[in-house]
Amino acid sequence: MTVESQTEVEVSMTVNGVEMTRVVPARLLLADFIRSYLGLTGTHVGCEHGVCGACTIIVDGAAVRSCILLTVQADGAEILTVEGITPSEGLGELQRAFADDHGLQCGFCTAGFLMTITAADEIPETDEDLRVFLSGNLCRCTGYQNIISAVRRYVAGRTT
Amino acid sequence: MIDQSVRPVHAGAIVTRKEDQRLLSGQGRYVADIVLPNIVDVAVVRSPFAHARIRNIDIDVARKAAGVVAVYTAADLADVSAFPDYMDFAKPVHAFPLARERVRYVGTPVAAVVATDRYLAEDAAELVGLDLDPLPVVTSPDEALAAGAPRLYDEWPDNVIVESVQVRPEVDQLFESHTVVRGTYRSHRHTAVPIETRGTVAEFRHGRLTVWTTTQSPHIVRTVIATMLGLGERSVRVIAPDIGGGFGGKTHVYAEEVLVAWLAIKLNRPVRWIEDRREHLIGSSHAREQVQELEAAVDETGRVMALRARIVADLGSGEILPPGIAPSFVSSANLTGPYRIPLAKSTVVCVATNKTPSGAYRGFGAPEMVFAVERLIEKIAHEVGRDPLDLRRDMLLNEEDLPYVNAAGSRIDSGSHRQAFERAVEIGRSSMSHREPSSDNHRIGLGVATFIEGVGPSYYATSGHWTSHDSAMVRVDPDGGVFVTSGVTTTGQGVETMVATLAADALGVPFDQVTVVLGDTDLCPYGLGGWGSRSTIIGGGAVLEAASIVRAKMLAIAGHLLEAATEDLVIEEGSFRVRGVEHPGVSFADVATAAYVRTYELPPELEPGLEATATWDPPGIDHWPNADGLMNACASYTNATHVAVVEVDLETGQLEILDYIVVHDAGRIINPQIVDGQIHGGVAQGIGGACYEHLPYDAEGQPLATSLMDYLLPSATEIPPMTVEHIQTLSPVTPLGVKGVGEAGTLGPAAAIANAVCNALREFGVDEIRETPITPSTIRYLLRRTRGETS
Repeated sequence: MTVESQTEVEVSMTVNGVEMTRVVPARLLLADFIRSYLGLTGTHVGCEHGVCGACTIIVDGAAVRSCILLTVQADGAEILTVEGITPSEGLGELQRAFADDHGLQCGFCTAGFLMTITAADEIPETDEDLRVFLSGNLCRCTGYQNIISAVRRYVAGRTT
Repeated sequence: MIDQSVRPVHAGAIVTRKEDQRLLSGQGRYVADIVLPNIVDVAVVRSPFAHARIRNIDIDVARKAAGVVAVYTAADLADVSAFPDYMDFAKPVHAFPLARERVRYVGTPVAAVVATDRYLAEDAAELVGLDLDPLPVVTSPDEALAAGAPRLYDEWPDNVIVESVQVRPEVDQLFESHTVVRGTYRSHRHTAVPIETRGTVAEFRHGRLTVWTTTQSPHIVRTVIATMLGLGERSVRVIAPDIGGGFGGKTHVYAEEVLVAWLAIKLNRPVRWIEDRREHLIGSSHAREQVQELEAAVDETGRVMALRARIVADLGSGEILPPGIAPSFVSSANLTGPYRIPLAKSTVVCVATNKTPSGAYRGFGAPEMVFAVERLIEKIAHEVGRDPLDLRRDMLLNEEDLPYVNAAGSRIDSGSHRQAFERAVEIGRSSMSHREPSSDNHRIGLGVATFIEGVGPSYYATSGHWTSHDSAMVRVDPDGGVFVTSGVTTTGQGVETMVATLAADALGVPFDQVTVVLGDTDLCPYGLGGWGSRSTIIGGGAVLEAASIVRAKMLAIAGHLLEAATEDLVIEEGSFRVRGVEHPGVSFADVATAAYVRTYELPPELEPGLEATATWDPPGIDHWPNADGLMNACASYTNATHVAVVEVDLETGQLEILDYIVVHDAGRIINPQIVDGQIHGGVAQGIGGACYEHLPYDAEGQPLATSLMDYLLPSATEIPPMTVEHIQTLSPVTPLGVKGVGEAGTLGPAAAIANAVCNALREFGVDEIRETPITPSTIRYLLRRTRGETS
């Protein structure tokens, strides 16, 4: 079957706890669906080729790059974005740790980091391993140092 | 005069940034997030050739493609004037938003396709037929300066954008009577790469144009758009919303910003252009590509008596505003660094080539010269047989030397040049003392870079327009809330927080009682924006000025309400009291209410309202060279020493940075966490530039790094943990003694890492790292060469 640029398909998914069905172009990237169709602009697009990690979201429990997934690939999936981890007032614990340790500057890459960390079953114990774990997310502002300490603060807060 | 009598409560303390709640919760609003009714998307068609004449652009097929609203080429923009050439000493380039007859680099915008969504616009962009007649290319200064070289601009005699020769016979005389040490150093081409690419959204309604754009300088964008489109500035509003990093790359006014504004008027509907990463790497400003030929006249101990430099910069096509020449002059001004080197002179040659225009990037010419000078000092030390650290000690500025006017005319008002150096070396040595190489095939080494950095510079020297002021408006509302705007902007550094901190302290109110709006030309007084490590010095100065005017008026009102003399009043925790009197006084809100609502309570000589706009301009700054050729181009000068501890794998050439130490003096620190963050980020970019990032071109002028798979940004694994310490030597000439810290982190890494690698490999005779990037191949090559292997 050939898919024309205008071919449309129906997709259903749960985004931040809300079930939805939409008709979208078959070629629509998941990042664009989330941002343009759902208006969830907390997910940012930094490179559109799967390197920078800014667009990282959680699909069925796994951190994925939404700029290199098609929307149709997420049909039936459960999706979590930065809006979905933000409490109705204030910030969640991980977000609070980023604020406390100045783990962000411009904020453009930040949601990607938050989602990568949120998706992790376990956060590495050594800083060296933590750096490897975070190496799929690029940050141009912080030099990573305060991101590392924010994650450490978050982990310490969870275990006490 | 700035009132510094209020006790700082917030300055010097860590406060949670104003920006963080929205940026962490996904509520930031960046340009790409802005959606307007009936908006259309633009795809820009760019030249695939580095140099060509435009014969014809066929838009007929594209125009009929699905979803296409319109397709335009330069012919449609006949009523748009050229980008202004403000610099009368550089050759004019007359660039237009879409190229008219000729393209001079791969990536030059030649056509704009507007469609109902970006996918369709990009589809149709591929259907635009470009009939281009390729011309011979030059891709380096050597090629561009060769006799008979193809020229980029027919009306120029050659490819030289500017050549500036300092004539100083007293410098040359010293070279005749001293030993001369020479070195040629090379900084490669790299670029800022904020994680947010550029983008512009524009709409035209009721005769007014609103432009949301990724800029560090919204007022300057407004002036240029109004000029080029023939609009009154009052009819143009430029908004820089949340910006995802700038680092200098977003100080330029770009073709697409003018193009999108023009499209919004032409189509009478909102228009959006969001740059993709490939466009960013070929269409946003590049930086740093420069060769420095240095000569030092040294005495028998190696002390440098005079320096001569020839700086040759590859500026690409030059089609950028402001032009890319200024960083080379900053390089020249950085020639003598933090050293007592009494004499220097330089020649600057800025050359046009068929590559992306070069311009601003964090550090702005300084990292290039720090690399060159700090390598040359090592070379001198080795030639005269001295410890390079001792040689530096002989020349570093000591406290008693300050203030010091250096050979370029920079007035170094204060600093801790020697102290910062000694402390950084001490920490570095301590780090080295407990380290052993991982194996027999590894070596470790320590390298130092020490430097000064001019902060809060003149913009005239960069742009040929504007000077160095900035502005702020402080308003106290009827309820006692404080609203502050400024002409400085933020691209993530936390300028909102800095402005709120200074305003809160100056007025004596809690930080939470202050709201700050930046980056909107309808709301903010005219200013030059956020770049050049200027926001805290200059924007901060304006905030303090404006706040002191409002505060004086509030004291007068409070005195009237309390029937007391203003000099008897104290401001404590948001209320005005009479010193030594038990009376609760009047609250901040009481005074504000009197100013707006209960105006019958005002002293008869005062007008209603609590609002002041003020500007601040650094004293003693020069905007052009004095008669003697010297120039103090910056508000103040910071100093720092960086130390890198590295391990080199002799077999693979792999370089690991084990430790990175910074001892920095940026004067008074307003927010320690933010200042550390600026250093961390600057160092990370410096490491990226030193070791990974590179924008190579092939012989045809084709860019070879057009994705983040080719252009390697450092991730968390490439950046080492950093040790950052501060010394706070207050500047006597800036508000609160602050000095500005945005760029300095980028200055040290290339030199410190190169020196550390040479230190590690000294036993093999490797001492000649003369260019960046320092890759494993570089290191393997140097090792092979010293072993006499040729391949």
